[in-house]
Amino acid sequence: MMQLHPQTRRQWQRFREQRRGYYSAIALLLLVLLSCGAELLANNRALVVHYNGDWFFPTYGRFLPGTTFGFDYPHETDYRALQQHFAGEARGNWVLMPPIPWNPYESHAAAGLFPPLAPSLEHRHFLGTDGAGRDIAARLLYGFRLSMAFSLLLLLCNYLIGTIVGIAMGFYGGRFDLVMQRIIEIWSSIPTLYVIMIVASIMLPGFWVLLGIMVFFDWTAMTWYMRTASYKEKARTYVLAARAQGASDWRIITRHLLPNTLTLLITFAPFSITGGITALTALDYLGFGLPPPTPSWGELLREGVARLDSEWIVGSVVVAMITVLVMVTWIGEALREAFDPKKHTVYQ
Amino acid sequence: MMLRVWLVLSLCLALLACSSEQETSLVPAKLPQDLQPYPVSATPLPAELVWQTNDSDPEFADPRAVRGGTLRESVPSFPLTLRLVGPDSNGSFAGYMRALSMGLVDVHPNTLRPIPALATHWAFGADHKTVYFRLDPDARWSDGKPVTADDFVFTLEFMRSKHIVAPFYNDYYTTQLTDVIKYDDHTIAVVAGNPKPEDELLVEQVNIRPVPRHFHLLDEQWVRNYNWLPEPGTAAYRVSRVRKGKFVEFERIADWWANDKRYYRHRFNPDRIHVKVVRDNNVAWQYFEKGELDSFGLTLPDFWYNRAQGELFDKGYIHKIWFYNSVPQPAQALWLNMNSPPLDDRRVRVALAHALDFDKVIQTVLHGDYSRMETHNVGYGDYDNKGIKPRALDLPLAVRYLEEAGWTTLDSDGIRSRNGQRLALTVSYGRPEHTERLVILKEEAKKAGIDLQLQLLDSSAFTKKVLEKNHQIASLGWSGGGLSPEYWQFYHSDNANKPQTNNITNFADPAMDALVDQYRAELSKPVRVELAHRMEQMLFDSGAMIPTFKVPYTREAYWAWIKLPTGNATRTSSAVIDAMGNGLFWIDVEEKNRIRALRRRGEPLSAPVTIVDETWK
Repeated sequence: MMQLHPQTRRQWQRFREQRRGYYSAIALLLLVLLSCGAELLANNRALVVHYNGDWFFPTYGRFLPGTTFGFDYPHETDYRALQQHFAGEARGNWVLMPPIPWNPYESHAAAGLFPPLAPSLEHRHFLGTDGAGRDIAARLLYGFRLSMAFSLLLLLCNYLIGTIVGIAMGFYGGRFDLVMQRIIEIWSSIPTLYVIMIVASIMLPGFWVLLGIMVFFDWTAMTWYMRTASYKEKARTYVLAARAQGASDWRIITRHLLPNTLTLLITFAPFSITGGITALTALDYLGFGLPPPTPSWGELLREGVARLDSEWIVGSVVVAMITVLVMVTWIGEALREAFDPKKHTVYQ
Repeated sequence: MMLRVWLVLSLCLALLACSSEQETSLVPAKLPQDLQPYPVSATPLPAELVWQTNDSDPEFADPRAVRGGTLRESVPSFPLTLRLVGPDSNGSFAGYMRALSMGLVDVHPNTLRPIPALATHWAFGADHKTVYFRLDPDARWSDGKPVTADDFVFTLEFMRSKHIVAPFYNDYYTTQLTDVIKYDDHTIAVVAGNPKPEDELLVEQVNIRPVPRHFHLLDEQWVRNYNWLPEPGTAAYRVSRVRKGKFVEFERIADWWANDKRYYRHRFNPDRIHVKVVRDNNVAWQYFEKGELDSFGLTLPDFWYNRAQGELFDKGYIHKIWFYNSVPQPAQALWLNMNSPPLDDRRVRVALAHALDFDKVIQTVLHGDYSRMETHNVGYGDYDNKGIKPRALDLPLAVRYLEEAGWTTLDSDGIRSRNGQRLALTVSYGRPEHTERLVILKEEAKKAGIDLQLQLLDSSAFTKKVLEKNHQIASLGWSGGGLSPEYWQFYHSDNANKPQTNNITNFADPAMDALVDQYRAELSKPVRVELAHRMEQMLFDSGAMIPTFKVPYTREAYWAWIKLPTGNATRTSSAVIDAMGNGLFWIDVEEKNRIRALRRRGEPLSAPVTIVDETWK
């Protein structure tokens, strides 16, 4: 049974007192949870189909060919057409579509409709479509999930490597520290963008490749902070005491140094997340990110800038981006405040 | 991290800015020394030659044209080289560089008959392979040196050299052109490898472009040493300034040797052509609207219908023209690399063709303006095989082919697989505006169980990838031209499976080789037409390429200070504002100042101008 440390409880209390940060955290958490179920919100697969007394839940799992529902084609059922078909038949069959009945890849292409289409309730394009006729709301949602996943994974990997190397440098010091410092200095001077451009020109940089490249170059940033922090902490008397009692290096690092430097990691995290989101967006915007037609904010932004006259494109993505980045920044601000040992400072 | 990306980016930009302050030097460090004239032929000129010329076709330039001004254009990426041959020289900038040199004869853009260029007269030999030329004694290189028979003789030596790393030219100038004979300084004969009908022999086969002998030092270092050295040309412009990554500028040769020749006077009117790199088409559009580019292609429906609207057009500052031409269509297609499994299986290729919904693309994102391309070669008159209809969307058929080929398992997304391998095909392309078309194709192909993966590349990187045959499917168009279709470079096994040739489907079929060879050797047009039809049919049967779209017109917007000649352009104009091609328009410098003043005051110039010219439709 884990008991919260009184100090942690105090910090949590203080975090809750930062209203906008606290509410942002709740809202963002909700958004992330929602986006995890993006398939239930924006999809061309129906949520529920009631057909001849049978129930179908097509959202997840294998695709259902058109023949399942009495159409004559073997590829995936067109559920929007099915919905209209059932409505016309009036035989008690029905289809429940998600709020946005479009998936982020399909283009709403019908003769006489020239994309980009403006927002319309009739077609349920709440934010309109892009130049290829794809629903912007759906692409924003899936793009959000992707950038969140990307930046969280990036953060996890960077912090893991950065912390291990940083603490080792600070704790062992001496020659190891010296050598590692030089290595990291050289490492950080490799131009990330160039490497990504080169990789992008020879292969399709998928999600994992891109993540790999970013981690490869970005883990170094965290090492400096962790190194300094552990340098400072290891000179403290409690570490000396632990050592005097015969504690091993491993125990000192994991039981004493790490918990005491955790604050640093936590306060940095939100800013790393915004960094991750903007980096991915910037890469997509420049065309070196995830390959088309992956739904991504950067690609939408690029298209929006290219089609300024279709203001719903650039409008949607800019508003979405500002909202998320501001929320994360507020969370970061609140965290910083909550973990501040000098209780009465004001964040300016 | 973001900060890092931007820091790196700005650092690169700063470095780029510093390094490009200096313009590239355009003169070779070392020139060939002590050139001895080539010996003249031992056998005299045949006596029975009938010399022909053409000085009676109508002139197509407008005598009202005035010289002056600078035409500003943009290209999406900086060329990888300024050489005319050798690695990476067949990129999109090659059009500019090739326009700097003339051939022996040219083709009248309206009557399609031969007209003099570097040669004033020509005569056909009895063997249907040799053509004799009298060179124009006035002809000069852009550096002032006279053009002589030696430059033509040198062409063979140059094009056959291993140092230029151009297997296509090496072979072409060995098998297709066997000899250049010098009779005196201004009389030569060019001998083709195979007999040809007279018109094609003259205009295409032996119509070589001289290579300035005094400029090239051929050695192992040639490709590197001459990468940024524009060779002297014979046409009206020469490269005057180059700033790598930024721009290439051409200047009009004021005392160009052909200034007063029939068919060449009143043409090539701007004093300078400034070609600037603008990497993004949308940014280029902003430049154009600001008046920093003089013209802009509006062939894309989105531009013609949506962008080219508003004040600048309503007030008559910018004009629009929709000009129907009659030219061989660029071969726009998806080119399938048959060496890249599973595209080595004909059934997969054919299934793919039946799984793509081109009609849907035409009816939506293309506004119904484009039509479906039928085969590789369209627009060559009798040579067109009108019996071939492109494979249309037919999902059941596509599925049947795929199942026959063993792609029977469907995964949970409906994508097929065979022995655990997914049916995923990569389409590489170099123009961002094609994304919209391809995503529609992708979605439809999914219904047949094919996963098309799109790979958008920078246009230079794309060219490199395709010419090195590293693509799986390439979406591109070859510009067409000439009097009859070309097959050897695209479908002969000589060019398959080696880098830097145009056989990007890696088509290698002995039956096709036989037809291609026969076609190249044949003299009678009806037989050639028949052969072309058979080759086109064989190509169709193989499914090696999937024809996409054709556009039998050009659409452009241009600032009103650009004046078009009577008739706007010619029958074969692929562009209206085409400075180095026909070069018929001119810039009214005074009008330019007037329009700028009007624009500052917000006063209109005229009613909106949209020209639709269907003369050649």
